[in-house]
Amino acid sequence: MIELVSEKRCIGCDKCVKVCPTNVFDAVPDAAPKIARKSDCQTCFLCEAYCPVDALFVAAEAHKDVPVNEEELVQKGLLGVYRRHLGWDKGSSPMDRLNTYRDLVNKVGSPI
Amino acid sequence: MSNWDEDGLELKTDVLVIGGGPAAAWAAIAASERGASVVIVDKGYVGASGAFAASTSGNKVLPPISELRDPVKFERYAMGGSLAQHRWWDRLLDITYDRAPRIWEWAGYEIPVYERTVKSSYRGLQGSETMRILREVLIQKGVEILDHSPALELLLDNEGAVAGARGINRQTNATWTVKAGATVVASGGVAWLSKALGCNTNTGDLHLAAAEVGAELSGMEFSAHYSPAPVHSSVTKGAYYRYATYSDAEGNELALSKNGHRSTSAIAKELLNGPVYCKLDKGTEAPEVRQMLRLGQPNFFAAFDKVGIDPFEQRFQMTLILEGTVRGTGGVRIANDECGTTVPGLYAAGDAATRELNCGGFTGGGGPNMTWAIGSGNIAGRAAADFSRSLGKAVNERAVQRTGGAGLRARNSAGPFDSSSVVKGVQDELFPYDKNIFRTEKGLLESLGKLDRLWEEVQGAPRQDSVHSLIRSREAAALVATARWAYFAGLQRTETRGMHKRLDYPALDPTQRHYLAVGGLDKLWTRAVTVPEAIVPKPVDPAEALKAKVAVAA
Repeated sequence: MIELVSEKRCIGCDKCVKVCPTNVFDAVPDAAPKIARKSDCQTCFLCEAYCPVDALFVAAEAHKDVPVNEEELVQKGLLGVYRRHLGWDKGSSPMDRLNTYRDLVNKVGSPI
Repeated sequence: MSNWDEDGLELKTDVLVIGGGPAAAWAAIAASERGASVVIVDKGYVGASGAFAASTSGNKVLPPISELRDPVKFERYAMGGSLAQHRWWDRLLDITYDRAPRIWEWAGYEIPVYERTVKSSYRGLQGSETMRILREVLIQKGVEILDHSPALELLLDNEGAVAGARGINRQTNATWTVKAGATVVASGGVAWLSKALGCNTNTGDLHLAAAEVGAELSGMEFSAHYSPAPVHSSVTKGAYYRYATYSDAEGNELALSKNGHRSTSAIAKELLNGPVYCKLDKGTEAPEVRQMLRLGQPNFFAAFDKVGIDPFEQRFQMTLILEGTVRGTGGVRIANDECGTTVPGLYAAGDAATRELNCGGFTGGGGPNMTWAIGSGNIAGRAAADFSRSLGKAVNERAVQRTGGAGLRARNSAGPFDSSSVVKGVQDELFPYDKNIFRTEKGLLESLGKLDRLWEEVQGAPRQDSVHSLIRSREAAALVATARWAYFAGLQRTETRGMHKRLDYPALDPTQRHYLAVGGLDKLWTRAVTVPEAIVPKPVDPAEALKAKVAVAA
């Protein structure tokens, strides 16, 4: 479930409030959004994918709280990891990743 | 919050589409291209809601060449109990071949060429990216989008035709009414709030609303689909378990695959005994293979990366999570070639509709489901536009009545019910493998008894002191209703067919090769519906036929 909205990183665009399919966040004027309904989080990682500054962290555990430490997540490169893997990070494109995928499929065969 | 029965935002449109996934987006695009004005409403965010945006899915973009299409049509035909229709497959594949490439054109993406496979090249694009593109297209076409606006009831005109819907915006707390000439329900399947990936928006609200206006359901007995996932996670992505070896707590290897595919029954039986562990170490030694798999399904690895497990090298504990009709096949019954229901003005598409027409009683995960979403979305969108036009200019001057019952308006004088405990009660009957995967008459009757009592409970006054509780109350009623249809149909189908397994009727009964229409709110019913197509024999592969001849000659 969603565990972190980094106040250091958040630019207040409220994109996560808009895209969260289960309406977990509440917008707060002039501040980072609040995690208002955490147990409604379905752990789909889409808020992370849409966050333009990698300010969010959704833990893999869907049913229990997991304590997180922002510094540690940064050190491990885990903030924005899903966005990078989708090719949605700055300077990247989903097609870059897809073309690498295609080259690998052409070389070693289709996985599915 | 505003009073639920108060009027809020009022819109008039030719076509209303309810849902936020691919079938909904395609229906809206198709209706718009047919010249209709279109409003699309979704409980979440159009583009992020539902199973696909959180995931990915193959397309079946294949030219009309039988050598390419036959393998798709026959791959799961027998496994689905021969309930799929080849005529529908042909229509869906034609539409997908025509329409799916548009996504790439709209995005300006070059289509990748896969050299070593005859399979479609239109694949590899993730659900999140595909839906982002489709949302852009909706905006460009002037479709009005209402996000975070769950539809909670349908509107009926005096002739008994559906004339739109009502709901509430859960971020502004304002009610909304959309009057429409035709309505397409494309709101996803139902996974009973299991947190299967992206599925918690899929609570069957519109299945209930459709039944309230007289629509029927079908295939609800094929709702026992479970997918493997790392324990405690939400990541129900099953494809890569083909590389899995399984083991128990002591590390003894478990044989849980059949014919190279994972066996849900075998895994479930083992999970009933104790923990099951898994490692993806069959044929994944090469670093290039690992990188390819990572690029193919980024979300599969999201859960592992975050807990620091390398699934190629380390064992992880796994579970099975119920995906219900999202990867199962039941839903609102399609009554004609236009994806119309039995109620005029109401159309169904995607997972909200029964997917028996191309998947039969087996899962359509990994391609057939997306073909259905694109195909049925386009069919329903076009038909809805035409129906609306046929009603003439006064289409939205019709007097309408509100139809929402259980969970929305009290139907008896009982006090308020607690939606969380109702949801828990439903889940206690639907989640356990020994109740849902391994079905018996005794077990189904026991569960139905409990579900009937929950249905009685949700007839009482719903809590509506906040928008959250208003929506949760209606969802609770929908989850009970859909669970009852699933188990009631399961009770009536006294055989094992597709994913519907009856321990007391372990064989397929050729006399039950029919669809089971199911419906009713207080009193449930089923009715056999003939499959209008004889069983299609699998074409003989010339190479295989030659081999067989040689073998006989030898």
